[in-house]
Amino acid sequence: MDHHLVIKHLYKNFGKNEVLHDINLDIEKGLFTTFLGPSGCGKTTLLRTIAGFYEVQQGDIYIGGKLINEVPTHLRNTTMVFQDYALFPHMSIRDNICFGLNVQKMEKNRINERLEKTVSYLDIGSLLDRFPSQLSGGQQQRVALARALVMEPEVLLLDEPLSNLDAKLRMNIRAELRQLQKRLGITTIYVTHDQGEALALSDKIAVINQGRVQQYASSQDIYFTPNNEFTATFIGMSNLLPGTVSDDGHTIVLNTESKERVRVTTDYLPGEGKLCFRPEMLSIRTSNDGSENLFKGKIQHYIFEGAYVRYWIEAFGSVIIVDQYDPGYRQILEGDVWVYLDPSKGHILQDEQQAM
Amino acid sequence: MKKLFKDPVLLLMFTIVTVALTVFVIYPLINVFVYPDSTDYAGVFSDLRYRKAALNSFMIMILSTLTATVFGFIYAYSIVKTDIPGKKFFRVISILPLFSPPFMVAFSYLMLFGKNGLITYGLFGVRASILGWHGLWLAQTIAFFPVASMSIEGVLRSISPSVEYAGRNLGADGFNLFRRVTLPLSTPGIAGAALLVSILVLADFGNPIMISGDFSVLATEAWMRVEGWGDVAGAAVISIILLIPSVLIFLFQRFWVKRRSYVTITGKIVNIKQKPTVWWARILFFIFCSIVALMIILVYLGILLGAVVKGWGFDWTLTTQWLTEVLVRGKELVNSLVYSVLAGSISAALAIVAAYLVSRNRGPLTKYIDFAAILPAALPGIFIGIGYSVTFTSGVVDLYGTAIIVILAMIFWNISMGYQTGLNAFKQISVSLSEAALNMGANQLTTFWKIEAPLVKSSFVSAFIVSFIRSITTLSVIVFLATSHNKVATFTIMNFISDGFFGKAAALTTFLLIIAFLVLLAGRKIAGKNIQLFD
Repeated sequence: MDHHLVIKHLYKNFGKNEVLHDINLDIEKGLFTTFLGPSGCGKTTLLRTIAGFYEVQQGDIYIGGKLINEVPTHLRNTTMVFQDYALFPHMSIRDNICFGLNVQKMEKNRINERLEKTVSYLDIGSLLDRFPSQLSGGQQQRVALARALVMEPEVLLLDEPLSNLDAKLRMNIRAELRQLQKRLGITTIYVTHDQGEALALSDKIAVINQGRVQQYASSQDIYFTPNNEFTATFIGMSNLLPGTVSDDGHTIVLNTESKERVRVTTDYLPGEGKLCFRPEMLSIRTSNDGSENLFKGKIQHYIFEGAYVRYWIEAFGSVIIVDQYDPGYRQILEGDVWVYLDPSKGHILQDEQQAM
Repeated sequence: MKKLFKDPVLLLMFTIVTVALTVFVIYPLINVFVYPDSTDYAGVFSDLRYRKAALNSFMIMILSTLTATVFGFIYAYSIVKTDIPGKKFFRVISILPLFSPPFMVAFSYLMLFGKNGLITYGLFGVRASILGWHGLWLAQTIAFFPVASMSIEGVLRSISPSVEYAGRNLGADGFNLFRRVTLPLSTPGIAGAALLVSILVLADFGNPIMISGDFSVLATEAWMRVEGWGDVAGAAVISIILLIPSVLIFLFQRFWVKRRSYVTITGKIVNIKQKPTVWWARILFFIFCSIVALMIILVYLGILLGAVVKGWGFDWTLTTQWLTEVLVRGKELVNSLVYSVLAGSISAALAIVAAYLVSRNRGPLTKYIDFAAILPAALPGIFIGIGYSVTFTSGVVDLYGTAIIVILAMIFWNISMGYQTGLNAFKQISVSLSEAALNMGANQLTTFWKIEAPLVKSSFVSAFIVSFIRSITTLSVIVFLATSHNKVATFTIMNFISDGFFGKAAALTTFLLIIAFLVLLAGRKIAGKNIQLFD
């Protein structure tokens, strides 16, 4: 893979506050990469540093092999879609979209060509003569995207662009954005705190917390094999059960009173670890059929979510969460049950040095 | 700072603003303090006249501030919180004095209620003298209550009706609700308005010079010293005595009251209907507003009438003599107009650039610019006048008697108004707009011209209007700078009045008013409805 945007040993302080700590990322060409993390984790700072709104204090940023630390923002061609869209309120939609091209003094024909192409992608041809204040949130969002895309940027930067839209619209635009990005093949960086959005959109995710990259991997890897507790709990739900991996490498003895032994199919290093099961990877059985990885539990309470029922079950000396999909009508379970842990779906978190 | 040297345009803007503010605000300010020697300063304690003037100033400040604030509050409350008829009319009437020469109230009342007064003598046959502290009190109350009213109106409007509904919901109503909810919520706003008014009263020169007679206040005392004895150093000392409380009150208002304010801007406009007012309260509020409005209308009627009658007090035949005379002589009017247009536009431009720099950058230089651009708001007009007269009328740059010195004084006396308007405007323009422009390849200058400038156009226009009107109506700033070469209308009006030429003075005032209102209307046309003035 071609490493398009490379960040090396990037640090950033605001006064005494360290916001970015030794960031190292190789972002591949044409991929959709998401910086995911809670608010204040430094993801937006990182994005804005790439855009050139913040100076690089320490470290290097390369785009296409060229060091861009000292390149001023207006010469970088890393166009950005802002969280509040930042459409120019005194310009028509056409002038908004063509702003960057006009600044470059590009020929009128070529501007129109690009405009038409971009507008057709986003289906906003009918809006060109209106003004931003006359547009709905979703339309403004498309225009903001068009304004960035029309520049044919090296890297497209998106700063939580969907956060101001209502849930349903967000879902639609999410799917559209993903398709458009695949089609155009623009290297895209997306910043969000919404893990669902990150999983749905990204080829790769960089999970960031307290100014550090926690894990940088594909969406699937992040979800199924998180490499630390932060990633495991920030993305989706995780039941974490501390224990010790036995010498055979695929059995973990939990640190509970009854020392349950849980088998997993993947091999891990013997020693301490945390068994990690997503709620939907567990299943509930009403009777003990004698199979392995089957443990006793007691349902405390539940909520009905439509597509699934989420149970809080007392088991392993604590409370775990189990999602049961495809619930039958009037078939909410109660009382004593058996919880089954599928060995092929279990994952064990271990200290990074140990795991690698 | 690193950014500054990479961007020559930014550097240039910073240099111009910093140099201008230093030379024309900070330097004259320091000069006023340096100019008098120790004997001049010692004179304050030995000379009885100083003490009397200071005491008088203090007394009238308390009286006028009190009445103007109370009037302002009741007036604003009537407009915002009651359902009396004619609210729109009352509101417009109370705004008018803000666009008129500040001395106009005193002048008009002198004609209406003085010894030869149209109302006191003409109507009731009373030969009462309005000259003195009571006349000044009345004039200042009417002249400055609109300032209080406007600022309190803003505060009252920001109290969401839903808070009052909550009060009602919990069992408070009528006066109880007012005492327990509305009043406490608006107290910081009222205090702020009172402080604002007290600065204006303290610095007022126009009203006392016309109407206070033997009752000398600091501002008029300074003028007497220069005019009577050529004692500029003494005047400088007086202006310092005036300056200190002004600056203190100003700082207090800015940093203490603002922090205590309950006003929160949520951007959410709650439009719940007011509950109807009780009938008797409605009548009381209506009568109050009517009387106050009448007092304002009388001011204008007095001036207009004064301009068209032959001899005020003895010959009431109508004439156009005065109007044509001042129009033909006209030099003052032309001067006033030209100076104020220049001062207004330069002041507005400089103020907007300063506001741009301060709102988009950080650092010690920015803090300095902020300080120097705000400071003139706390400086009494006569302080600026004296400061410029001791600083720029000798030595290498001798601007004595030139148009330039008058225009410069107007520019920098008014810069705070435009600066604050500009700051508010830039605060409302999201930084991401300019970032978006930079992000798409525009440099700083292009960004400023294509994105920020069009968006602050209306602020520029309102900054222009405010400084234009303040320039064309000011007396205190120019009184120490005017000579026969560079005199402006307000200066001539003052001289006409002191020489008893009421007709000419009224005619000249009428033209000033016409110009001021025309500019205001034109500004509204250009910038649309969304211009804000005197906020």
